[in-house]
Amino acid sequence: MKTLSFIAALVCAPLCSMTTGEASVKPDNAVLVPVKNDPTVCFRIWFKAGSQNDPEGKEGLASITAAMLTDGSTLRNSYEQIRDKLYPLAAAYDATVSAEMTVIYGRVHRDNLGEYYPLFLDAMTAPAFSGQDLERIKSRTLNYLENTLRYSSDEELGKAVLYDAIFAGTPYGHITSGLLSSVKSITLDDVRSFYRIYYTKENLVIGLGGGYDVSLVSRLEKDLGKLPAGKPHPVDPPEPAPIRGFRATIVEKDAPATAISMGVPIDVLRGSKDWYALAIANSWLGEHRNSSSHLYHVIREERGLNYGDYSYIENFPEGGRRSVPPQNVCRRRQIFEIWIRPVPPEAGHFALRAALREYSHLVENGLTKEQFSLTRKFLKNYVLNYAPTTMARLGYAIDDRFYGIPGSHLAQFRAMVGTLTLADVNRAIKKHLHYGTMAIAVVAKDAKGLRDELVNDLPSPITYRTKKPEAVQSEDKEIAVFPVKLSPEDISVVPVTEIFR
Amino acid sequence: MKPIVAGFCLLLCTGSAAMADTILPYRVTTTVLPNGLKVIMIPMESPGLVAYYSVVRTGSRDEVEPGKSGFAHFFEHMMFRGTKKYPGPVYDSIVTSIGASANAFTSDDITAYHLNFAAEDLEKVIEVESDRFQNLHYELPAFQTESGAIYGEYRKGVTNPYEVLDEKVRDLAFDVHTYKHTTIGFERDIKAMPEAYDYSLGFFKRFYRPENVVLLIVGDIKPAAVLKLVRKYYSHWQKGYDPSAVQQEPPQKEERTGTVAYPGKTLPILDMAFKGDAFDPANTEFVAATVLGDLAFGETSDLYKRLYIQEQRVDEIRASIPMQRDMPLFEITARIKKDEDVPLIQEEVLRTIASFQSTPVDAQRLAGVKKRRRYEFLMNLDTPDRVAGRLSRVVAITGGIEAMDGYYTALAKVTPEDIMKAAKKYFIPERRTIVVLKGAAK
Repeated sequence: MKTLSFIAALVCAPLCSMTTGEASVKPDNAVLVPVKNDPTVCFRIWFKAGSQNDPEGKEGLASITAAMLTDGSTLRNSYEQIRDKLYPLAAAYDATVSAEMTVIYGRVHRDNLGEYYPLFLDAMTAPAFSGQDLERIKSRTLNYLENTLRYSSDEELGKAVLYDAIFAGTPYGHITSGLLSSVKSITLDDVRSFYRIYYTKENLVIGLGGGYDVSLVSRLEKDLGKLPAGKPHPVDPPEPAPIRGFRATIVEKDAPATAISMGVPIDVLRGSKDWYALAIANSWLGEHRNSSSHLYHVIREERGLNYGDYSYIENFPEGGRRSVPPQNVCRRRQIFEIWIRPVPPEAGHFALRAALREYSHLVENGLTKEQFSLTRKFLKNYVLNYAPTTMARLGYAIDDRFYGIPGSHLAQFRAMVGTLTLADVNRAIKKHLHYGTMAIAVVAKDAKGLRDELVNDLPSPITYRTKKPEAVQSEDKEIAVFPVKLSPEDISVVPVTEIFR
Repeated sequence: MKPIVAGFCLLLCTGSAAMADTILPYRVTTTVLPNGLKVIMIPMESPGLVAYYSVVRTGSRDEVEPGKSGFAHFFEHMMFRGTKKYPGPVYDSIVTSIGASANAFTSDDITAYHLNFAAEDLEKVIEVESDRFQNLHYELPAFQTESGAIYGEYRKGVTNPYEVLDEKVRDLAFDVHTYKHTTIGFERDIKAMPEAYDYSLGFFKRFYRPENVVLLIVGDIKPAAVLKLVRKYYSHWQKGYDPSAVQQEPPQKEERTGTVAYPGKTLPILDMAFKGDAFDPANTEFVAATVLGDLAFGETSDLYKRLYIQEQRVDEIRASIPMQRDMPLFEITARIKKDEDVPLIQEEVLRTIASFQSTPVDAQRLAGVKKRRRYEFLMNLDTPDRVAGRLSRVVAITGGIEAMDGYYTALAKVTPEDIMKAAKKYFIPERRTIVVLKGAAK
């Protein structure tokens, strides 16, 4: 895999080279997806910065800085004027900020490109950084952390806690929105400083897609070339502390159901042969929002315990809101992750065991010939659904640049699905997945009760309101005592009000 | 009997002159089989991909029997449990083996089943879809297990304060119409679902009939060939649709108000709901209302700019003017930063309504919203799935897609005076229900 040079933490800010100049963005910094008959033009401008670049004590700064560009005033137009001008065009621009990437994106009908372009460009090159905008954006972020994430989506809360636990102490160790205390402390000077370091002409890649005229490429290069020069220092990929055995964080809150996420770091990235092999295994175990998922079959379909159960080998934020993988959330360190959607409180321990048991079977036995063959067939066409639009294809093309994939990841995915063998897949499972280590995050009402059950590895028999087939009943007996033992020191119970402080 | 084919073309059949009459930039072929099944086919450039929507014109609106709220949605789940020929796991493995993206959704007026797949698999899809719509078969245990998944879906949603609010507003605003309950249904009814096996069999017989279903097939297709396959697999489907006796809501006499407690922590949310009119492009006031919401409360409105951007008293404010089969609620919701500001924001909303009732809207702003609607529509027709998904709602409400052109034609003619009339007709105390949601946790 190509080494990716990245970005500086703000601690090194004074050391970052800062020069000014008029040089255009280099042509090799453009990712183009022309689609002649597409009546729209798609933009994705990738700045190589993300929450990993948040300075200590200023967690959330990358996200707030991006919002100040796409959701704030510019030197030419007030925020209200921008909204007024964009509104009739049915066009907008926005930003996606993840651990390593910030992408400013937008889409407009060709008819309206002339009116849209200067507004889109100003957002990046002429932000006003007004105090009023900052106040509004901070307030929205604080509400998200304090109320929405803590109380209104336990499954997103569980995932956030899982990632924080696995990457604690590394630049990935906080969610992109930041922490309550750090967001409160962010000032206009912080935003300006972050902007100066990371929004430079040498730190961006232009993505353009759809029915644009070829002259737009050079125009955009020239216009973004007006950003100051400067190449931020790279941040090393995070090295999460090794996980020994099982460890759990149980968030205690008055939750109507129990949400469970679990995961463990893996050392494989998109583009490598092993990744595609593992993707086949993962698709079988838990293709996102798909009834082909084995976990879905065991936990939802046969037992009706919840709404769905899936697994991942790449970060997949906001899984409840999307049916296929997102783009522009690339990371140099990924985790293998299992997501159990909320189950009745009395079935929490059982569902956790059921998922771990299926995972252990996969790790021990690999896929069967039939499972492999069906999953291959599935993926060959299903992958087409990952990028049905120009905007999504452009997103993937940017991601290809991130991972250093010379052609197209999705084309390669389909090709690999055709050529990889069952032995390749099972070898990749053995190499990258190991049973017995896992970080677990649970959101539950009776957190202490669950902790005691886990510490004592107590049986968790399940009862249903209706009779289940013999096969299910006998499997339930095995699941109920499937060993998942944790030491008291490996479980922390955290009141919800303590999260994201 | 030979099928009667009523093929017609909304666009481009006789040249580009037809363009002016329709907003959809694709050729449409519509056919009705003798059993009443309507098939709408839209070929579009989409290398090798097809979207296949089976739109059932039944939703939670049809849940007229007491204790059966949430049943249309529940039934949507049961449709994945298979037939004798293709039991659930076999159906799943067929869909999996062709790599289709398959799912379904239910709301007030619609239950839609959709698949996206490679064009070469069209016949297989038509075969399995026609099979489950005609021959669905499941036993009691599968039925009861699925009710657990529904409860799981309810549980994941109930932590969202907007869902808690929606349940309360509907319950308070409606007396007899089934819009009184949400699509997921009341919790007590979800709990009782495992007991309703026999009812579910009747539900299938009543609603899953060709006269109540429309197929929308979009993408890399040749209509003549598709039609041949549709006839082959669907012609034996028997008529028998038995519509629900949905009671229309009697006129409301006075304002209703209520509060609802959310068990978690949230900023207070104000919901001001007004009984509107059903979707009808011929109803000028309704068409005007669909843009009034944006003009008065949308992101370019004076109120939004003041409360959200300048004074920052709210962190969200929006209006929703839905297109539905019967009288819906036109809603204005605001999430308010301070508890003590709730009455003030309510006053501000009412003052804004009063000004739209008395003062014609700026013509340029009206032109802006019309332009936006047109481009919004055009920009979201880029994949077969989006085209079919976008059209499925109007198909469910009206039975076809013609009303969509009717709507955009009517929208182009809306005047500032029409907006005033709509404000005076709908946004009055006698149509109003106001609910405030507050968080319980500190």
